Amino acid sequence: MGVTNQALPSGYQLLNYRIDRQISRGGFSIVYRAFDDGGGPVAIKEYLPSSLVLRTEGDIVRASTAENLTSFRYGMKCFFEEGRALAKINHPNVVRVLNFFRANETVYMVMRYERGRTLQQQIQMRQDQVSERLVRHVFMHLLNGLREVHTHKLLHLDIKPANVYLRTDGSPVLLDFGAARQTLTNTRPKLAPMYTPGFAAPEQYREPDRLGPWTDVYGIGASMFACLAAFAPQAADARLSEDHLVSAKKIWAGAYSDNVLEVIDWCLRLDPHERPQSVFALQKAIRDIPPRKRKLTFLDTLKKKLFSEVV
Amino acid sequence: MRFTIFQESRKGQRKVNQDRLAYTYSRDTLLLVVADGMGGHVGGEIAAQIAVRLFIERFQQEAKPTLKNPLKFLQDSMLRAHQALGSYANQFSMLETPRTTCVACVIQSNYAYWAHVGDSRLYLFRQGGLIGQTKDHSKVQYLVDQGIIGANEVVDHPDRNKIFSCLGGLVDPVIDLSRRTPLRNGDLIVLCTDGLWSVYPQEEIARALTGTPILKSSPTLMREAELRGGPEGDNLSVIVVRWGPETLADEPTTTITETLGLGEFQTEIDRTLTLTDRKGAQRDLTDDEIERAIAEIQATIKRYRR
Ligand SMILES: Nc1ncnc2c1ncn2[C@@H]1O[C@H](COP(=O)(O)OP(=O)(O)OP(=O)(O)O)[C@@H](O)[C@H]1O
Ligand SMILES: [Mg+2]
Repeated sequence: MGVTNQALPSGYQLLNYRIDRQISRGGFSIVYRAFDDGGGPVAIKEYLPSSLVLRTEGDIVRASTAENLTSFRYGMKCFFEEGRALAKINHPNVVRVLNFFRANETVYMVMRYERGRTLQQQIQMRQDQVSERLVRHVFMHLLNGLREVHTHKLLHLDIKPANVYLRTDGSPVLLDFGAARQTLTNTRPKLAPMYTPGFAAPEQYREPDRLGPWTDVYGIGASMFACLAAFAPQAADARLSEDHLVSAKKIWAGAYSDNVLEVIDWCLRLDPHERPQSVFALQKAIRDIPPRKRKLTFLDTLKKKLFSEVV
Repeated sequence: MRFTIFQESRKGQRKVNQDRLAYTYSRDTLLLVVADGMGGHVGGEIAAQIAVRLFIERFQQEAKPTLKNPLKFLQDSMLRAHQALGSYANQFSMLETPRTTCVACVIQSNYAYWAHVGDSRLYLFRQGGLIGQTKDHSKVQYLVDQGIIGANEVVDHPDRNKIFSCLGGLVDPVIDLSRRTPLRNGDLIVLCTDGLWSVYPQEEIARALTGTPILKSSPTLMREAELRGGPEGDNLSVIVVRWGPETLADEPTTTITETLGLGEFQTEIDRTLTLTDRKGAQRDLTDDEIERAIAEIQATIKRYRR
């Protein structure tokens, strides 16, 4: 059996926060639910890369070898990058960072606790088709958050349903800004798996100097695709050698409005230049989609009434 | 930071290329360096290489991620490079110290700062007009200043290669420092060696680079300049930076530095011609850096808390 990193136990006092339980364990970190001084819930992300075994007991993180320490410290930069990025952003559709500190020889990020589930879970739970209304609603709001991110000259670079949280009121929150991660790949393979196949844009594999808002736009398109399909589109690197991706327009013709499907296909273009170049451009395209069934306005009803009376 | 950058060095008709150039940037600061090793002297290319390397290495030690005092950094680096050339000559018991010109530019917080020694140049263009430039440390420039010859006579003058300040010379270099110069989006910063400026007047460079994406126009400019150099053509080199997001290109070419991690640098040393290895300039974070990063993040959280 492989040895894994030990999570902090329930009841553990971390500065002025009390750990309640582990919510999730990812490649780079463990996320806990905890309570602050006033008893309010918070989410705390602990930097603890799973590829490095650093804590088999107790709370202190210890690198077993010098090389381990190097990798550990190196990856910490990305964690800082995430903190730095989020600290600047105060937007209802982007997860809010409340505190950032060092303890146990590692670093922690405290976030506002959100109730709900990830879009990924939502997709997996659904039996029937996701409605067009839900897709539009979630992505319009999510794009507001992403626009704010881009306004701060930051790129997310890992947009996928697992990193979109849906609050119980249905509003989306963008999570997980381990943004600068792709810089890890070449040099420190130990901390590697940085892009998510299916959601990462082709330039993330090949041309890191061509990253831009259009890179996140690809992730948005892939996430919309996944909402309809309940699986991710073909990975971009595979698409580059042999593109098997069937256009959304073909797969779901008739089931969703042409325009939603066209927007998805537009976002998923392999050539970065052929995609919407900004979130704003994308939002405009989505907004321009004529609603499938318009609710009758007061005027419509009136007209109808008058019409029937005349007839 | 957002900018588009192009750099290229061509050998011209010479046997060796003694020009060296490089750029490097942290998240918040960009450094450009061009050096033209002096041909008549021993190891011109070594001199140019040493100067460029020294700038890059000092930058990576000091830009964390910004330089405290860019002008002082430029001046100190010039002096250190000068001294490094002296000790290099000593170490290898060279009769003559290798020599080079050097022009370097730092861009930080939307301001440009530059310094030069010798006759490698910097031009700053805004909307096609020249708004900043270096003044050569050369005999002909002196003659121009004294009104003895006209500016148009410079390129054909028999003494046009005589410079009175260089790195590695017998006397300490004369180092000219610019002022802190505010940049606007769309400004063009051009660093070049005499191989380019002697065949391409400043107005023509401006015309060639204004209004077209620089990644298209710069290679054309260099090809044309090499042709103009003819059978005796000198080495020629250029770094062109278009400041701000690229709005002219039909494809995304803008370099966006925010994806760089703390303490990371992206460096390009004239791709085709570098003599030595590039050793991975990766370091661990020190405890100090960790503390500082955390303090910075906490300060940001406070600032943006509504
Ligand atoms: N603020 C929050 N409120 C509630 N739950 C959260 C919050 N942040 C994260 N989570 C939960 O933790 C999970 C993982 O979070 P996140 O995506 O940020 O980390 P990760 O994928 O583990 O990151 P990494 O890839 O860096 O290891 C989310 O899917 C979500 O279920
Ligand atoms: Mg995640």
